[in-house]
Amino acid sequence: MTAIATDVDTSPTPPLPRRRSRLRRRNSLIGWSFILPNFLGFALLTLIPVVTLFYLGFTNWNIFGTANWTGLANFQRLLGDTTFHTAVLNTFYYAVLHIPLTFVVSLGLALLLNTKLRGVAFFRTAAFFPYITSIVAIAVVWNLLFSPQYGPINQLLHFVGIANPPTWLQSTTWALPATVIVSTWRDMGYYMVLFLAGLQTVPRELHEAARVDGASVWQRFWNVTMPCLRPTTFFVTVMLTINSFKVFDLILVMTNGGPGNATLVLSQFIYQTAFVQNQFGYASAASIVLFLICIVVTIIQFLINKRRSA
Amino acid sequence: MNRKFAAAAAVSIAATLSLAACSGGASTAPSATSDNKPVTISVSGWSLTTTPEFQVLADGFHKQHPNVTVQVKDYDAANYATLLTADLAAGTAPDVVAIKQVTDMVTFASGGQLVDVSDVKLSDGIKGASSYKLDGKQYAIPYRLDGNVLFYNKDLFKAAGVPDPDGTWTWDDYTAAAEKLKTGLKSAGSSALPAYLHTWNSQVQSFATAQTPKADMLSGNYAYMKPYYEQALKMQDEGLQLPFATASANKTTYQAEFGKQQAAMELMGSWYVATLLAQQKSGDADKFQWGMAPVPQRTSATAGTDKKPVTFGDPTGFAINVKTDGAKLTAAKEFLSYVESEKAAESLAQIGISPALVTDAVTKTFFGQQGIPTDSLSKFAWGSQKIAPQNPPSPKTPIASTALTAMHSAIMTGSTSLDKAISDAGAQFKNQAG
Repeated sequence: MTAIATDVDTSPTPPLPRRRSRLRRRNSLIGWSFILPNFLGFALLTLIPVVTLFYLGFTNWNIFGTANWTGLANFQRLLGDTTFHTAVLNTFYYAVLHIPLTFVVSLGLALLLNTKLRGVAFFRTAAFFPYITSIVAIAVVWNLLFSPQYGPINQLLHFVGIANPPTWLQSTTWALPATVIVSTWRDMGYYMVLFLAGLQTVPRELHEAARVDGASVWQRFWNVTMPCLRPTTFFVTVMLTINSFKVFDLILVMTNGGPGNATLVLSQFIYQTAFVQNQFGYASAASIVLFLICIVVTIIQFLINKRRSA
Repeated sequence: MNRKFAAAAAVSIAATLSLAACSGGASTAPSATSDNKPVTISVSGWSLTTTPEFQVLADGFHKQHPNVTVQVKDYDAANYATLLTADLAAGTAPDVVAIKQVTDMVTFASGGQLVDVSDVKLSDGIKGASSYKLDGKQYAIPYRLDGNVLFYNKDLFKAAGVPDPDGTWTWDDYTAAAEKLKTGLKSAGSSALPAYLHTWNSQVQSFATAQTPKADMLSGNYAYMKPYYEQALKMQDEGLQLPFATASANKTTYQAEFGKQQAAMELMGSWYVATLLAQQKSGDADKFQWGMAPVPQRTSATAGTDKKPVTFGDPTGFAINVKTDGAKLTAAKEFLSYVESEKAAESLAQIGISPALVTDAVTKTFFGQQGIPTDSLSKFAWGSQKIAPQNPPSPKTPIASTALTAMHSAIMTGSTSLDKAISDAGAQFKNQAG
């Protein structure tokens, strides 16, 4: 009896935890093996260059030879560089125009196309199509549409009675709004898909209840749909903001920063400084500034969202 | 102990020597017997299927030096500088690198990537070599030099009843002829415009820099370009050429505008000759009589076939990768010596390339091409103009280029006044160049 009593041991290391840690380790290994291929590519092609960039911003590297540490000299130079100021202002101007316009248009499209009518799939595809079209094709076609003398848009404006339509992409005042229009047309499909996914999570019973209570369409939208859509709205706003600050390919192929410096945005300034003028250290410093702008704005958005959901 | 010391000493000496080789310029002594042993050198080129000049030079050199094999490596033409920069930085670039733009030479040489080729003897009368000089050293050898000439459509001139250019034109004469062409072409029922000005900023600015005495693109003071812009804007406003805004929006090509007879006159580089001949042969361009004339001059002092008209242009050349040494370095230098020789110039002229060395034999070969105009004015325009460098070899050139490109579109679209755009460009250049 005493032998059996002593067999029931009170020692704190039975074989069970060892089995549990082995199981946990096995689960971790399986998890790692799933994400490792993608993470390896990300680390090699994105993470390491970005980390190197933070170092290069404080040097005067010109691709050949060594990178000499120059401290904050690049940033002091940025402060006095008028072209850099123009690029930052243009980027903010573009973002301020692009973000609300794309948000409203894509949300509107999603609400319109959130039906089960026959043929709605065609319209959804049509709205998404600009997003997957070649950017060079988009640039060439929209340049022709916006052509001041022979373009269809100005001919239409003449027809409606506007005598002196703007010269769009060939005018320093209208070039940036014109690129915003093209950019919205291109991005609306992508964000529409995100909103469509979010709209599927709005419970139908809430709408029914609101309708029974006599709420109008607008009241239903504002008090039922929008609150339920908040996670999607937050995601779309964050992605839209970051992509607006980083805009590059569309502007490069449409106007190349022109006319003058009217459409020169920050990414393009970085590209010009690095690959045309071969000043990689200086361009890295400008990239760090772009990164800081994006992250500050994103943090502000996260804080606002946290306060709203509290 | 002695053996260990000797081994250590040998290793350290070898390391020091190789470090010295890495510093650019100084290289290990080349072997003097390249004419005996077979050597292979690699040469970079672009768009080999549409740019036959590299293979032509490689084959011509191999004929003269049968023991040297030249391998031409193909690069994408649009991103040539970036791709070659990446290869040079990685140490995988070819032994001989083609220099597409003068600014490439400046970037590579300042980065210690090119061998000093001042010891390669240049033929008498070769043009364009000064564009490859940096800090007193020669870093590349030119094999072709394309100057801007005035292409004109003889058929359209005849239809409009306007006399052909005679080589004595100033810019005022050019505008006057365009005005006569406008009325003449209209009454002949043609929809062609008198002239076409391509959207590149060089088409106004480089004429100003080449033809204005003491003009310096790197001074930050661009007021000397004002009369040239006034002339270009006048031609635009009077409807004598397609407005810059339309040409920019519709992305018109200079090949189509002149080749399809949309314009009676076009200022363009002499590289267009080969393209126009090929396109007329294949049917992509209309078949019409055309000719070349010297570009319009600032004053009559340089205008005339008995004078020296001034135009602009940049050379294309070859340089040697600093990592090339030994027998390959000797072979590479011999290749550079070949590309600027008269034999190479003749082989280039045969395929329609304008070589950097123009002699009577070279002119005869170039104008022996099928379909090329053989009048004396065309020969004079092609071979006897003074070709001033378009891009000075300096690290500040890309900065000036960026400011001037912005200035050009601001002025030609009418978005900014001439004086403001010029002062903005100067301020931008001084701000960034320091």
